[in-house]
Amino acid sequence: MMRYRLLFIFGVVLAIQIFLLLPSYCLKNISNANAQQPELSQAMMCEEIFNNAPQSPTVVFSASREKAICYSSFDPVPQKTAIFHNWFHRDVPSAKIQLILNPPRWSTYSSIQLRKTDIGPWRVEITDENGKVLGVLRFSVTD
Amino acid sequence: MEKLINFLSSMRWQDFIDICLNSYILFRFYVLFRGTNVFRVLIGMTVLWFFQRLAISLGLIVTSWVMQGIVAVGAIIIIVVFRNEIRRVLQAKNLKSILWGLSFKSAITPTEIIVDSVFEMAHRKCGGLIVFPGKEDLSDAVQGGIPWRGLITREMIASIFWQDNPVHDGAAIVNGDQIAVVGAILPLSQRDDLPSRYGTRHRAALGLAEATDSLVIVVSEERGDVLVAKGSRLREVKQKSTLENHLQEHLGTPAIKKRYLRKERLETVTAALLSIIFITGIWFSVSRGQTTLVSLDIPIEYLNQKPGMEIVNTSVKSINLVLSGSGALIKSITPDQVSVRLDLSQSVIGSNPFTLTAGNISLPPGILLKEINPPAVEVDLDETIQKALPVQIDWAGKLPAQFILLGFKMDPQTVEVVGGKRFLEKMTTLYTEKVPLDNLSGKGEITAKLALNPASLKIAPGSKDKVTIQYVIRKRE
Repeated sequence: MMRYRLLFIFGVVLAIQIFLLLPSYCLKNISNANAQQPELSQAMMCEEIFNNAPQSPTVVFSASREKAICYSSFDPVPQKTAIFHNWFHRDVPSAKIQLILNPPRWSTYSSIQLRKTDIGPWRVEITDENGKVLGVLRFSVTD
Repeated sequence: MEKLINFLSSMRWQDFIDICLNSYILFRFYVLFRGTNVFRVLIGMTVLWFFQRLAISLGLIVTSWVMQGIVAVGAIIIIVVFRNEIRRVLQAKNLKSILWGLSFKSAITPTEIIVDSVFEMAHRKCGGLIVFPGKEDLSDAVQGGIPWRGLITREMIASIFWQDNPVHDGAAIVNGDQIAVVGAILPLSQRDDLPSRYGTRHRAALGLAEATDSLVIVVSEERGDVLVAKGSRLREVKQKSTLENHLQEHLGTPAIKKRYLRKERLETVTAALLSIIFITGIWFSVSRGQTTLVSLDIPIEYLNQKPGMEIVNTSVKSINLVLSGSGALIKSITPDQVSVRLDLSQSVIGSNPFTLTAGNISLPPGILLKEINPPAVEVDLDETIQKALPVQIDWAGKLPAQFILLGFKMDPQTVEVVGGKRFLEKMTTLYTEKVPLDNLSGKGEITAKLALNPASLKIAPGSKDKVTIQYVIRKRE
């Protein structure tokens, strides 16, 4: 009889523990899911990439230099994911470039070829897979 | 007859008022300025104007230029030269007499009393000067004088020229049955052919007679002679009847006055008729001349725009109107005399089509509307909202190849703007006007204005319309 009573108490305590711990476990899982998003640590426009590092950062590109590069660095990168560099010329979409990020940290870049017709203000929106804007870079293309 | 009835029925009631009003104005000018030099000069200017038109039609280039110049400065000449006469006419008459009254001369000068008094003064060797003005104004010729305004009597004349009277040396000026001014100083004649017995009083009488159309009676103090000065002549008068004849000839007897009054009334009626004929002629030549067409581009004016709504777009910015009218009216028409108005009080957000009718167009009198191009306008309206937009600098020009614009700080980074909801919702960036790079070097601070495109976009109250940029330019590594 005593043994059944102990078993009953043990069962009740176990049920209470399960009831208390389950929500915190669920929340932890959700926060883990958020933490799996890459975090933009650095972003800049530059003229060149050398040894995977940006060179000659600037906000004005001469059309004669033929190339504009958008460099972005993510730390941490919890899991393999994709981000996008969306290029706009005077608010008109010009290019959408997908880039893959690998854990634990990752730097990547995209570039566009510059022509005389590209002269004017530009911006690059860095977004995640869901379209969430992680950062915006603005620059101009001049003569 | 039928043609005449058709023609008259084509005239508007405004046209009749137009002719009547201007005829009356012209007639009033005649009434106010008749008999004055201004009126004569005005007639001269009108004749000159007709000659100028004739010279133009005959192709006489220099003649038409000269006459055009004279007519152009004529108005200024009249005002400057005849300012005293104009002032006298306008000051002497009250508003009623300027607008309505017909002033016929009625006061009769008592010539008999004057003649008796003058010969009595001559008998007593009491010197005197009595002026009887004609139609010309004396204010330029006569100086000084004391207003008297007393009815003419023997005693009064005798007392004015009494030797102990302070004003006895000056002239008395007669106006109708009154002595208007005493002690007046008259201009002296410069003639050197006058007899030596004539003194200053004689020269003064002749001086005024030469300068104006007045008649002046002189009573010599030394010799007791009576003389009459008129024009350039100074004649001695021995008989009372002769002097009375001179005065009646100058002033007019009651019988002559009546005839003169009738003549004056006839002249007035003739002037009124001539004014109507003249203005009617001008009116027809201006408004019913050869029909001419003109094409004008007129911007649209929008009225009664609801608060919180703004015009985003219109199918056209201006309307082309084809107008017709007489050559003279069409030549003088300018775009600012014509307006195209659209009432937006019934309009809604979105596209609003409007058909333009004559009711939307305001034209000067005498101009007719022939055509409206395009006949319909579409007005796109939107709700007004406020939105904060990030500012982006629109760099332009070129830096030297060895330099690079490393970066810049901008203040403010966002600006609140007010504009159409549909447009602003799509708008993501507010650009500056072009900022030239060519003259920039090292570090520095510049300001740039914001480019508001479309023009309907407005900076919200409290927001800045320009940004400050702190830039850093370095040599390329």
